[in-house]
Order: sequence, then structure tokens, then C-alpha cells
Amino acid sequence: MLQIENVSIKFGNIEALKGINLKVQKGEFFGLLGPNGAGKSTLMKIIVGYLKPDNGHVIMGNELVVYDNVNFRRKIGFVPQEISLYLELSAYQNLKIFGGFYNIPGKVLEEKITEVLKLVQLEDRKKDAVKNFSGGMKRRLNIAASILHDPELILCDEPTVGVDPQSRNAIFDMLMKLNREGKTIIYTTHYMEEAERMCPRLAIIDYGQIIAEGTLTELKKMLERQVTLKVLKTSITIEKTNELSQIGKLLELDGHYEIIPNEYFELNSKLFYYLEELGIPADIINLSRASLEDVFLSLTGRSLRD
Amino acid sequence: MNIIYKLIKKEIIRFLNDKTSMMLTFIVPIILMVIFGNIFGGHGSSRGKANLILINNSNSEIAKFIEQKLDSTETLRLIKNYSEEFSEIKFPYTEEIAKEHIKKGKISSALILPENFFTDTSSSLLFKFYYDPKNEIESAMIQGSVQQTIMSQVGGIMPVLMMRQAKKQIGENKFLNFSDDLKKTVSANFGVNVDSLQFLGGDFEKRAMNLNNNNSSNVIGNLVKFDSEQLVGADVKSPGLTRSIGGIAMMFMLFTLTAAANSMFEEKSEGTLNRLLCMPVKRSHILWSKYIYSLLLGIFQLLVLFTSAWLIFDLDIFSNFINLIIVIIASAAAAVSFGMIITSFAKNINQASGLSTLLILVMSAIGGAWFPIFLLPDWMQSLARGTLTFWAVEAYIQVLWRSADFSAIALNVLVLLSIAFIINFYSLLRFRKGKVFR
Ligand SMILES: Nc1ncnc2c1ncn2[C@@H]1O[C@H](COP(=O)(O)OP(=O)(O)O)[C@@H](O)[C@H]1O
Ligand SMILES: [Mg+2]
Repeated sequence: MLQIENVSIKFGNIEALKGINLKVQKGEFFGLLGPNGAGKSTLMKIIVGYLKPDNGHVIMGNELVVYDNVNFRRKIGFVPQEISLYLELSAYQNLKIFGGFYNIPGKVLEEKITEVLKLVQLEDRKKDAVKNFSGGMKRRLNIAASILHDPELILCDEPTVGVDPQSRNAIFDMLMKLNREGKTIIYTTHYMEEAERMCPRLAIIDYGQIIAEGTLTELKKMLERQVTLKVLKTSITIEKTNELSQIGKLLELDGHYEIIPNEYFELNSKLFYYLEELGIPADIINLSRASLEDVFLSLTGRSLRD
Repeated sequence: MNIIYKLIKKEIIRFLNDKTSMMLTFIVPIILMVIFGNIFGGHGSSRGKANLILINNSNSEIAKFIEQKLDSTETLRLIKNYSEEFSEIKFPYTEEIAKEHIKKGKISSALILPENFFTDTSSSLLFKFYYDPKNEIESAMIQGSVQQTIMSQVGGIMPVLMMRQAKKQIGENKFLNFSDDLKKTVSANFGVNVDSLQFLGGDFEKRAMNLNNNNSSNVIGNLVKFDSEQLVGADVKSPGLTRSIGGIAMMFMLFTLTAAANSMFEEKSEGTLNRLLCMPVKRSHILWSKYIYSLLLGIFQLLVLFTSAWLIFDLDIFSNFINLIIVIIASAAAAVSFGMIITSFAKNINQASGLSTLLILVMSAIGGAWFPIFLLPDWMQSLARGTLTFWAVEAYIQVLWRSADFSAIALNVLVLLSIAFIINFYSLLRFRKGKVFR
């Protein structure tokens, strides 16, 4: 469906993308996870032909994406990271305007607008000016405006930034519904929980480079250990730091210790027995399975939230 | 093409939803036109009258006639009597009292027709005019009204005065010879039968001074009347009014069209510009739609403003309509280029609107949108020729006031279209480098 080959771009001195290679299959829900400034939006804009890469190219289907060639954009729905709507106009007027650029016959467009408004649960607010909408409503309309023309490929650039949990879930449901209907979705985010929940396969991008790519399980397999033990710092645990470091690699963080257990302690029963022996109360320990956060941490030495 | 059409439709929808823009485009300029139009002499609305003390000490028929005509002048209210404080009794004004009242600021000016205002041997009319320098503008307007009334209403007296002047200067005999020659010249050039030119004969003065005589056998009366129609005729609106209307229309069109061009910055910060460019829309589509939409909006705005001027001031826009349309299109095209060049150079909307407001005000001031440019020093007058406002406003005055034909506005139209063409072309090049599309 989509092949990104060796794509690089510079803004002045900033190398925003350094030789990106990615393949996305038809019907996938593909995630692009990376911290702010990693180059996610830039890559999206190159895919849609809005920016021209200095090097490399994008192939969609069997068509080379050419900068400013607008025809293939009819197959893409691009949801910009920023709310990109005419705030003074109503939801309906916005959809009517943006839908108008796809040569959809008037009657079909009207039906499509009704359908999409229902999908984003804004049909009862369609006459209201967008400036009076909540953040979540604007976000939903921001997506609606990009899918009126039934695009094969939907590019969602951080569609949940600044959104209440309810709207967030509505957006997730909506995108998963579209995906089930056969649409290919590329979803960028800097929330690893979102990527983990939504995207069976994903790439992690940092400083303009793809540092890992694969299914969730494949990515987690890259980690030394699948389990992390967190112990709160208390007077007891501080005293027992030495003993705790016997369990495995110990990281001293702000409010707690993070320990990656060695092979011996990988078995939970042995670990809990040992902790009990040390006299550490159960309510200050937490055992968690590996997350994408850990993957990112192990790959970059930084937390995704930095 | 379809995309550009859709983009223009989008601009129109946005404009119709923007009440502030609508106000600034139509309502505010119309209000200003009403205010300025009334200052500079509109007819259609009730204009305030200026108070003028009139003291008529002359017994002559002419003085009576002038008093009567001034009385019926729309712009003047003649004050002839005064009353003491706390008293109901009215006294006729005297010169002394009038002077005193002007000094005290009770009234701004007085016109006095003295005893020797016009006698059998007078070769000019003697007026005395007192005014308060603090009220210079008002008294200048009053003086203007008085002159206008005399010129247009008692034109018959002028040739008499001129003839008496001539006799005085060159002596009676020479004057008669001269008038013979004049007769021949007039008849040769105007194709009038010499026999009908009896006006220099003995009864001429009597006839000319028969002030209520409006019949056409009064040849010189007709000649003078013809002349005075050209200057301050009854049907044609004052140049001041025309200038105000043209100037305000031009100034507000510049504001409207710069705002339209600058809305690209708004669309950029709203993100909608980027969204459009991620849809099947090219940068060139956006530019073309802006140019075309701005041109249409400018033309529509001017049509609305001039039509309002027609409704309010009875400004004659129809007798020279084709030329008016030509000037409207040319000046709208030039104004579009002004808006676009600013948008293409500016870094952001604040810079763009600050710069354009400054330039529009300066161009309007020195370009003759507010007052005639002969009031300016020479160097500013030459500077005026560098503003598109000058060429547009002068063209409006030609078309609306002088009813000039196309040859009179050809240069203005050419200059405006050249400005439009060159600057639009340059702004198109600039947009490749400008900040808007980054
Ligand atoms: N138009 C631009 N001009 C200059 N620098 C840019 C531009 N767009 C993006 N960048 C830079 O490129 C890098 C990647 O930005 P972006 O793709 O927006 O990151 P992300 O979407 O992952 O947060 C950042 O360092 C950003 O500052
Ligand atoms: Mg981004």
C-alpha cells in the first residue's frame, strides 16, 4: 500500500528526517510513536505531498507521490495535528467547504456529511459555530473533515492531543470502526499507551530516525527482560538497597527503585519469597510487564515523557 | 478551475459570516460618506445652515435682490435683528453691534452691503465682510456661499460691471470701437447674427439689470449663465462631494482588499491553509482564488458605495456609467495588487496590517482622497503621483463630476492597470519566498 524509501528532509540546519524506510500494508492500523520533535508530522506531510523530501521518495499503491501533484491526494485523508477548521463557521459549513474539493456530487456529499457527523457524534451541533465547541468536539470535527471522501488511507497526526477521556475513547472507537471497514490507518502519537492499545504494528521514531519497527510482541522481545519491579523508596527500602540490588539491575529513580530481575528472580514466586524475607511490605511493590515505554527507554536511554 | 471556484465560494461564505468585515466594507464608509458629503456640500440631505448677520444699508435694487437671494440660499440663515438679554424686543443690527457680537463669539461672520454698495457709476460691488478668525473654516464657507449665490443668481450684473470697468480703463470712445470689433468676433466665432448683438447699445444696461428677466433674448445674460453653469451649475454636484465619495470609497476598498489578502495569515494560523494544501488544492489555486475573489469583492464594494452615494446625495452615476465601471475595475485591480504585495512581503498578520494601515492612510492623505492635492507643498504633490489613490480619485472626479469621456481617464486607467499588472506579477513571484506558505 505505502512504501517510504530512504526519505530525508532538512529545515535549515535541522535534519528533521534522516533516511526513513517504512512499509505499510493495506488494511493495517499502523502506529508511529515518538517524542515531540521526532519528525512524525514532517513524515506525514511528505506522505501527502505537502512537503518535498530532499532525498528518497514515497510510493503509494504503484504511484510515485510527487510534491504538489494533487490527484492522488483524493485517496488520502490527512488529519492535521493542529485543529484546522474555520472557527467562525458552523460544523456543517466546514464539512461542506472541505468536502467540496473532492468532486463529490452535491447530493452524495450531503449524505456523506450526515453520515460522518453521526460517526463523530456531532449531528445535533452541526449548526453551531466551531469556536463554541469543546476541545474534544473540535478534534472530532477535525477528523470528520478529512474522511468525507472515503479515503483509502487515513493519516492521523496526534488526533487526541488535549482531549477529555470521553472524546478520546470516541475517537478510538471511530478509528477502529473505519479500520474494520477496510481503511488503512497511520496513527502518530507520543502516548505509548495509545500506541499499545491501538496499533498492532508500529515504528518508533526518534530524532528523525526509525529506531525500531515491528509488532508489539516483536518490539517487547527486544528487551532484556519482560518484567520490571518497582519498589517505593521508604526508610525500610533505602536501608535495604544492597539487598535489593541482588535481585537484578537496579535503577534509582525519583520516588522509587526500578529493578530488572535477573534470570533467577524471573520466577515470581522466588522474587516474592525474597522480598518477604527482607521484610518489605507488599503494598509498596509493583511488578509490571514490559511496555513500549521500556522499549523506548532501553533504545534511547531516555523516557518518552522527557 | 473547479477548485478555484470552490475556494472563491469559501471566501464568500467566510466574508458573509464575518460581521466586522461587512461593517468595515459597507456600513462604515457609507456613514463617513454621509458625514463628509454634508460638509462638502451634498444636496440630498438636510444640511445645517450657517448663521450670517446681514446688514443692508443700500437702497439699490441689486442690493435688495441679493438680500432676497441670500435669504433663500439653502446653506445660510440670515440674521438681521438682535435682542438684548432678558428682553423680547428686537432691534435691527448695526455695523457696530455686529462687530461686537462677532468679537464676543456670538456669531462667526457678518455681511454688510454699505450705502455705496452699488451706485449709478459703480464698476464693482462693495461688500464688507467681518469674521472671527477662530471660526475661519465656517466663515470661509459662508464667504463661498455668498459668492456662489451672487455668481449664479445675479450673473446679469457682471457684464455691466465689466463694461463699466472697461470704459473707465480705456475711455468711452475706444471702448465703443472695441465693442464693434468684439461684436464681429463674437458673431464670427459663435455664429450669432450681428443684428441680434445689440447688447452694447444704450438699453443694454437696463436690460441686463432687469434682474428678473430670464428670457432668452438677453444674449449676454445667457452667455454668462452658460459660463456660470460650468462653474457652479445647479445640476452638477460639487467637486468636494465627489472627491469625498471617491476618496472614501477608494480608501475603504484598500482596507477591505488588504484584509482579504491578509486573511491568508489567518488561515495559516487557523491551520486551514495547511489543511487545504493537504487536499487536492495547490498553492497556485489559493493565490488565484485570492486575486479573483479580491477583485470581485472590490468591484462589488465600489458599486455598493457609489449606489449609496446616488441614493443619498443624488450623485449622478448613470450618465457616465460605462466609464465609471472602467475606472472601478481598474482601481479595484490596483487595490488587489496592493493587498497582495503586502501579504507577500509581511512575516505575519500584525506586520501586514500595521504596514498596510500606515500606507493606506498616507496614500489617502497625499493622494487626494481627503482634500485636493493642490493644498499640499509641491514635493508632496509629485509624491502623490506615485500613489494609486491619486490616479483613482482623480479618475472618479473626472467621470462623476466632469462627466468626462474616456480620453480624459485613459491615462489614469492605464496607470492603474499597469500598477495592477506589475505589482501582481511581482507579488506572485514573492509568494514563492514569502512566509505565508511556510
Ligand atoms: N517548517 C519547519 N521549519 C523548520 N523546522 C521545522 C519545520 N517543521 C518541523 N521542523 C522541525 O523538524 C523537527 C520535526 O518536527 P515535527 O515533524 O513537527 O515533529 P513531531 O511531529 O514528531 O513532533 C523539529 O525539530 C521541528 O522543529
Ligand atoms: Mg507533530
